[in-house]
Amino acid sequence: MAGTGARAPGREARAGRFPGPSLIPSLNDIQRRHGWLPREELERLARETHRPRYEIEGLVSFYPHFRTSPPPRVQIAVCHDLSCWLHGADEQIAALRERYGDDVEVEVREVSCLGRCDIAPAAAVDERPLAAAEVAQAVERERAEGHHGHERADGDRERERSGGKRAHPRFEGILRTPRQWPNDPYVGLGPEDRYAQARRMALGELSGGEAIAELKDSGLRGMGGAGFPTGSKWEIVAAQSAQPKYLICNADESEPGTFKDRQILAEQPHLVVEGMLCAMLTAGIEQGWVFIRHEYGPEEEAVRAELERARSAGLLGEDVLGSGRRLEIEVFTSPGGYILGEESALIECMEGHRGEPRNKPPFPGVNGLWGKPTLMNSVETLAAVPIILARGGAWWRAQGVNGGVGLKFFAISGHIEHPDVYCVPMGTTARQLIELAGGVAGGAPLKAFQPGGASSNFLGPDRLDVPLDFRPLAEAGSMLGSGAVVVIAEGTDLLAAATNVLRFFSLESCGKCVPCRVGSHKAHEMLTDALARGGDTGAIEPTLARLESTLRLCSICGLGQVALGPVMSVLALGRNGDAGG
Amino acid sequence: MATTTETARSEATAQVTLRIDGREVTVAEGTTILAAAAQVGIDIPVLCHNDRFDPVGVCRMCVVDVGARAYAAACVRPCEDGMEVTTTGTELEAHRATLTELLLSDQPDPREDPKETTTADNELLALARRYGVGKDSPIPQAAGRGVDLSNPVIAVNHDACILCDRCVRACDDIQGNDVIGRSGKGYATRIAFDFNDPMGSSSCVTCGECVSACPTGALVNKPINGVPIRPRSELRQVDTVCPYCGVGCALTYHVDDQRGAIAFAEGREQPGSQRRLCVKGRYGWDYAASPQRLTVPLIRREDAYPKGPLSSAVRGEMQGGADGRGQANGRGRKPGGLVDYDEVLPAFREASWDEALDLVARRLKEIHAAGGPGAIAGFGSAKCSNEEAYLFQKLIRTGFHTNNVDHCTRLCHASSVAALFEGIGSGAVSTTYGDVANADAIIIAGSNATANHPVASSFFKQAHRRGTTVIYVDPRADRLADHADIYCQLKPGTDVAFYNAVMHEIIRLGLVDEEFVRNRTSNFQALAETVSHYPPERGEQITGVSAETIRRVARVFGEARSAIIFWGMGISQHTTGTDNARCLIALAAITGNIGKPGSGLHPLRGQNNVQGASDVGLIPMFYPDYSSVDDPQIRERFVRAWGDAELDPARGLTVTEIIGSALAGGVRGMYMLGENPFLSDPNVNKVRKALSKLEFLVVQDIFLTETAEFADVILPASSYLEKEGTYTNTDRRVQLGRKVLDPPGQARVDWEIVQEIARRVGLPWSYSSPREIFDEMVSVMPSYANLSYDNLGLTGKLYPNDDPEHSDGTVVMFGDRFNTPDGLAHLVPAEWLPAKELPDDEYPFVLNTGRLLEHWHTGTMTRRSYALDAIAPRAQVFVNPQDAAEHGWEDGGRVRVRSRRGEIELELRVSHAEARGNCFIPFHFREAAANLLTIDEIDPFGKIPEFKFCAVRIEPAPAAPRAGDGHAAERATAEALSGAAAGGAPTGTAAGGTLSGAAAGGAPPGSEAGGAPTGAAGGGAGAR
Repeated sequence: MAGTGARAPGREARAGRFPGPSLIPSLNDIQRRHGWLPREELERLARETHRPRYEIEGLVSFYPHFRTSPPPRVQIAVCHDLSCWLHGADEQIAALRERYGDDVEVEVREVSCLGRCDIAPAAAVDERPLAAAEVAQAVERERAEGHHGHERADGDRERERSGGKRAHPRFEGILRTPRQWPNDPYVGLGPEDRYAQARRMALGELSGGEAIAELKDSGLRGMGGAGFPTGSKWEIVAAQSAQPKYLICNADESEPGTFKDRQILAEQPHLVVEGMLCAMLTAGIEQGWVFIRHEYGPEEEAVRAELERARSAGLLGEDVLGSGRRLEIEVFTSPGGYILGEESALIECMEGHRGEPRNKPPFPGVNGLWGKPTLMNSVETLAAVPIILARGGAWWRAQGVNGGVGLKFFAISGHIEHPDVYCVPMGTTARQLIELAGGVAGGAPLKAFQPGGASSNFLGPDRLDVPLDFRPLAEAGSMLGSGAVVVIAEGTDLLAAATNVLRFFSLESCGKCVPCRVGSHKAHEMLTDALARGGDTGAIEPTLARLESTLRLCSICGLGQVALGPVMSVLALGRNGDAGG
Repeated sequence: MATTTETARSEATAQVTLRIDGREVTVAEGTTILAAAAQVGIDIPVLCHNDRFDPVGVCRMCVVDVGARAYAAACVRPCEDGMEVTTTGTELEAHRATLTELLLSDQPDPREDPKETTTADNELLALARRYGVGKDSPIPQAAGRGVDLSNPVIAVNHDACILCDRCVRACDDIQGNDVIGRSGKGYATRIAFDFNDPMGSSSCVTCGECVSACPTGALVNKPINGVPIRPRSELRQVDTVCPYCGVGCALTYHVDDQRGAIAFAEGREQPGSQRRLCVKGRYGWDYAASPQRLTVPLIRREDAYPKGPLSSAVRGEMQGGADGRGQANGRGRKPGGLVDYDEVLPAFREASWDEALDLVARRLKEIHAAGGPGAIAGFGSAKCSNEEAYLFQKLIRTGFHTNNVDHCTRLCHASSVAALFEGIGSGAVSTTYGDVANADAIIIAGSNATANHPVASSFFKQAHRRGTTVIYVDPRADRLADHADIYCQLKPGTDVAFYNAVMHEIIRLGLVDEEFVRNRTSNFQALAETVSHYPPERGEQITGVSAETIRRVARVFGEARSAIIFWGMGISQHTTGTDNARCLIALAAITGNIGKPGSGLHPLRGQNNVQGASDVGLIPMFYPDYSSVDDPQIRERFVRAWGDAELDPARGLTVTEIIGSALAGGVRGMYMLGENPFLSDPNVNKVRKALSKLEFLVVQDIFLTETAEFADVILPASSYLEKEGTYTNTDRRVQLGRKVLDPPGQARVDWEIVQEIARRVGLPWSYSSPREIFDEMVSVMPSYANLSYDNLGLTGKLYPNDDPEHSDGTVVMFGDRFNTPDGLAHLVPAEWLPAKELPDDEYPFVLNTGRLLEHWHTGTMTRRSYALDAIAPRAQVFVNPQDAAEHGWEDGGRVRVRSRRGEIELELRVSHAEARGNCFIPFHFREAAANLLTIDEIDPFGKIPEFKFCAVRIEPAPAAPRAGDGHAAERATAEALSGAAAGGAPTGTAAGGTLSGAAAGGAPPGSEAGGAPTGAAGGGAGAR
């Protein structure tokens, strides 16, 4: 009997639709050669791989990375999401459009969050991140240096030769010198002392069971937003008998206001890689990936360099430290889109499909990448593993305050004096964090803040003393989410801010399910219209409330489920009439 | 020997118990909530799902409360033990209403909705009514996503699309055409064809499965020939069977009785076709309503003798062929390509049925009396019913005492049947095409099934996706190559070498089923000896397929627990056709792959009733049920069964032999029922000469065919849609075709016409209905035993069938023994022989001929179908891109293709399906008749011509202005957009209306004396 193509119960028909290898690398290759994707090349690809044309169209039209027209000499991308919007992104975009509107050599695109909220408004010129204010200068430099369409291809080839995706000079000077962080057990030690826990595990001095026990004891929860207990997740995947199993480090942080993983990748890649090695050794996994968003070019370089160091140290390869174990970690650069941070969408992308989240169950731990058990943790979660294994679960637990457990990275941006990433005890209050970051910009009074990224509900100043932790924030009507605190000073139109957030979700919706695809768009239209008419939302509030509950309860994934939350929280906070900000 | 498709699931499935709306339900693990709810009669609303598709859970209409943070989509969520499910309630219904409201916000106004204004079964609007949601919603309304009318018969309205992905799954999972997907992201997402191309210029094959799947007005059928599509309740439904290919898909025509026309067609449930249709079945039925139908008996005018071709196009070709140099006559080369009625009709006059039938009977009797039985021959048709075929052969055999009766099976599977009879004692398939679902591996050999058996091919593609290993062996890399695990692009005419090499390797690897070979076959040693000379390396040398691939094929096929071999004309239409089929039979037999589920031999039958016509004896060597004419005992049985008939003890002549005999003056009178050898037979210049030489030719058909130009009498027959009868498909499924429409004018049903002629030649026939003929037929055909009109039911029955009341019939045959006298399969070794005419410097290309998806044989039906003609309007020669580049031939340019027998001029099409040095020309197009080029060498056993191999030369055509060049789809697009869609009549209106009108117009009073078109006289002269 035939039947190898049988569906896993609950796994919907389109998931894993195209069983062959992913076409995304081939598309990347074509784009590297031409700077874009000419139709004849796509036709040839379909013919030679015996794959449907529509599959290619589905990918090319879904992922923002792919171009179907020749690129201009210089590409400018400017972020228009919340933190940048709070810093006048709209005006910057208008100015750039004014300046380059007639310039056929320069393309100005508004894009979703670039993950550089600390330099808001953030931009990128030919993928090199910078502050929007520096764009003009960079454009002139690019023109002078000839980094344009045709020559870019050479640059890309250079990247390929160097093993990395990007050539070094372009990102020089972007990464800051690593600082000392409290979650790093190797502070003060030499590079040769790193990977101590991974070594112990590879040499059998620390078993997977012991590691799981330690993680459970630590109370470590997933830091990507969902907060699933890490020890249990590892245990589930370790218990799966299906082979092979895979590990994915989710480095696709893309939510407006969120850039803590970026900083961890830049400054502590060794902790991320060690966390991955420990996970693989624990769960019986040979192959792991770092799935990283393509906007994080400099950080990707740092990760690749770290992987090379780990390989040199014998921690990657066919026979790790003579243990007979094979461990391999590769970097998978995301072709773009916030939705890929959703674990099943990420898997769809890696399999070569449109990044549309799957109906769950089954969950990736049982039925993940290519239908195999897949352990997926976020950057911050994995970076916490070495110190927990080094110092024990109890030590980790003791780091928290106000009932919190362990350490927590926060990215703070918006109207804040020193936007940056801070590692503080879990349970630190918003007030303390804001003070740590120098207070509200210019000493202005606080109007509201989002404690956990774009999808978290806005809270008013009366909530400044709520500990930044899973439960207290949930009880306060918001969430810890992605650990991104966005500070909004008095004088900001909160409804406009919330509408900005909704636009992000609407634009980043994959479009798979009805409530999110249509509902987020229609709600954004209604709000935009209300704002244009002076901001009276009285007439639309019942409909918005109805849409919010339908989106929250009926959407397939978290994006749709939370898309209207921030808007509703602003309506609940009561809108302050004064505009501007 | 009977087994069924139902294979017991051996593994016990775990059960789970849950509560749905308070009711306890126990189901198998993995059952969805939707299915479990349905079991207890709980109906959950749903848009993106129905039972034909695997679920995607995107519309969210079926969300239910399972006690989690968010709702779950019941269509995709599996039941869990102890689950508490709530499927209804104010809150859930409110969410469903909101979802409906959201979807409705971008929909066209219901008064203009493409679905609501046609079949009026828009599922979204039904939900909107249920939830009281309308256009007064506070949600902003939008429109403007666009309309795509580029396909001639399918309209796309993106505003009406709700992205339920049903069309995507219909296109992929059901039909395997892989054209539709999602393009874009978020709110901007829309369904797209290929690279977001207009549907009409995409790779869409217009099967219409997406239309039948679409719940809204996004994909709807366009009216054909102005017959509006209306709600089913306002139309009359006729459940019948598709008239085109041997797959025999069950369908329903929705008939507009006010207009006396079909409004639209839909697939119908049947074990084989499972509601699927292809473009021909779903859209190609309007030929019957063509204004060019013959409606009155016609008799050739006295002044139209001596006989010859009447239309100028044909005369031009005759001259070209006659002197071998091809002075192509530019006159009459119309893009439409059908017989020019204006030119041909003036040679005929109308007659009464009595006059025409009397004349037919008198002339045939005279010729028979003068020339003996050998002077008469009849060509029946595989498009006619079993009853018609049975009567026709009975008339020729008992009325004229000759076995000179044959039909187009000679041109398709005669060699397969010859090999199958010799090998296993039966010419029919040993298992159904649907049995592919049970096969580990299959070989598809020499078959462009996606074009020729589209619905069967959809099951192959589906099986491939479910894990069946598909090995595709064909010189042309057509669409099936994209669905194959192993594709072997062998050189044309090297099949024997290929399969011998595969068997060599199977024997070497010890993958022979020893027990099967020992107990069920004979002559294995001889086979082994022969194939021992074909190691894979030699196979590679001859076939061009690498030795490594040959080894892989051998291993996969040899190791499969069950495997089926499907084959088509690429195997049979060779001078080595019988040898090719012998190899396939041997390959299946030595691996034990006959007689168990998922294994067997399946020659894919071409015409809708080629299996049936052969079964009932429309072949010169067999009486009904393959009873040998040269066996005296059998003959005696038929003498008695047919009322002491006087039967010829010698085998009759085959199609190709009859043509030869006519040329030589042997056969002098012919009865042609629905055949058009003028286009379908090889080397048609020779056929034309033969037809001109006949003393008397009666043609019974529904259109004026090229063959009818040579007729003395033309009898207006009924189309498939106008009569009742049974048809036997490739699976041995006998199905009832039901009358849909009345015949036009004085046209009569074919069995009646045959009976009228029979009576006039003195046979005492008095059949009152096809049912009565069927009963007589079954009485002389043990294979059809137990079948009757009453027990065929709506889905037909497979034969043999012990109990048609309760059983669908036998899927897998030969479980215990074969039909040979000793019950064994006879392995017949074959040595590879090269084709008869190899390419050389003068004729460097190998020509392959065959069919297009859109067209049927000589195009008489399909080229008069609006849809099919619009999609594939003209002849093309398909050439490899490198060959084209090397010679500087451009896609769409005009070329001349020449062989030693004739030449044609047509458009060049660059095609990645062709290997270098090969070219392909479909044979449907009279204005570029591929069979002017083909060679009339035949297979010595099956007497089948070598349609798949001859040497040709391609050169640029002399410049000639042509309007509307370019791709078919572009033309279709232009027509559709310009509104020409409504017309559909392929040629001018002169031929419209009744025939008498046209005839009167074409031959005004006084024209008989000297006013006959000069062409007629010239043609006559040219023919002599």
